[in-house]
Amino acid sequence: MIDNKKIKYKSPFYLILSLPLIIYVVIVLSLIYCVFSRINYDALTIVLNDSALLASIRLSLITSFISTALAILVALPSGYILSRKKLPGHDFIDTILDLPIVLPPLIIGLSVLIFFNTAIGRWLDRGIWNEGLFIYQPLGIVLVQFIIGCAITIRVTKSGFDSLDESFEQLAMTLGANRFQTFFKVVLPGITPTLIAATVITWARIFGLFGPVLLIAGTMRNHTEIMPTSIFLEISIGRIEVALVLGALMILISTIALVLFKKLGGRGFLW
Amino acid sequence: MVNTFGLTLENICFEIGSFQFKNLCMNINPKEYFVLTGPNGTGKTLIIKIICGIYQPSSGKIVLNGREIQDIPIWERNIGYVPQNAVLFASRTVSANIEFGLEVRKIERSKRKEKVQEIAGLLNISHLLERKPNGLSGGEQQKVALARALVLKPSALLLDEPLSAIDESTRDELCKELRSIQQKLSITTLHISHNKEEMRMVGDRIGSLQNGNIIEMKSNDRTTNDGKFNMTYQKTQN
Repeated sequence: MIDNKKIKYKSPFYLILSLPLIIYVVIVLSLIYCVFSRINYDALTIVLNDSALLASIRLSLITSFISTALAILVALPSGYILSRKKLPGHDFIDTILDLPIVLPPLIIGLSVLIFFNTAIGRWLDRGIWNEGLFIYQPLGIVLVQFIIGCAITIRVTKSGFDSLDESFEQLAMTLGANRFQTFFKVVLPGITPTLIAATVITWARIFGLFGPVLLIAGTMRNHTEIMPTSIFLEISIGRIEVALVLGALMILISTIALVLFKKLGGRGFLW
Repeated sequence: MVNTFGLTLENICFEIGSFQFKNLCMNINPKEYFVLTGPNGTGKTLIIKIICGIYQPSSGKIVLNGREIQDIPIWERNIGYVPQNAVLFASRTVSANIEFGLEVRKIERSKRKEKVQEIAGLLNISHLLERKPNGLSGGEQQKVALARALVLKPSALLLDEPLSAIDESTRDELCKELRSIQQKLSITTLHISHNKEEMRMVGDRIGSLQNGNIIEMKSNDRTTNDGKFNMTYQKTQN
């Protein structure tokens, strides 16, 4: 079978259309090169031997994975309901969901900070545990990452449910599957590529989150410091090389995540 | 009067958008192969979806083998449904597609495999069992969809234009197979079709849906094999 996408077109039309793409790819590659070309062995040794920096890498990975998992857990039922049913106030809910996507993350961080200064917020933060659950705590990082990431996850999973023909569900039910069995055995496998895309997009969005994390959790070494805040701290004390090593590590981790995603067969929303 | 055997629709009322059925009645005798035809947009597919339970009528009765099923959840009706475009689960192999209904009924794995082999043998699709649905031809996909419905030994089989997207020679072959399997399994069958030759080949009786009523035709005389549509209208209700 001939794959039209693989045919080598020498037509000027395709060459002209390819030009902006090539320029953009070159720009991105140049930026990555700039980061990697400035890395030196000493800075790498500092990072690998600094327990606080290693803890920040670990905390970055842990918090981003937890908040991505939470976002998926919330997005699956929410995206499905939004896709299949017209809820009361559907358009209002739809608009509210777009807010965390379009608002600057810093504004969301500020709103969360103000919320924890209200009576309910104070009770939630310190009512259960004196030390506080969210403010200047790792759980606060998970919270802001979740709030910012979840709206995107819902949007992407909803697009997956929208594209899955309802006749698959109807047919599964005629075969004896109840609604839960249909959801887990037919609907979820049917949107797997979109689900993987949603996971990667969400994780990518929250892994590099900086401003709101700084506001809610601060940058306490060995406690609430994550990779983006470490880079900020290293730049502020003049250790640019160390910041660059951390930046390169973030690029590497993100690239590995994307490659894994493609290997898993993720397609859909963006790919 | 309601026939307590076979499949009966009694005074079904249903409304969707501007379309409605008002007191729709239909009777299919037990083990009968009934073909329903009629112009596009008259609600033939809707009738199948109402019987399956995908749509709920506002009033009226659906009686299958003496049991009223209109209030029974769709997954408990045990009605085999084969839609126009097979609707196979792409992530599952052919074997897993056929097995689906048995799996959700929590039937033991070895018994499932046995039943899948048996129905695949009956439909001559044993060689396709390990393949994914994407690479199958239209005819093969419909056979898999049919096997998936039949493996559950349904009380009735509903076929919604199952052969409409299939070439003529394959269609003739499938018509013969459909008829022979229906006879072998003695299953009450409702088949929607627009093709006169297809109706002649499979149907015991043929009805036409017009203006929300089913106008019954004379029983199909399958003894004449001249390819002509050998039926006459016999209006039974308005």
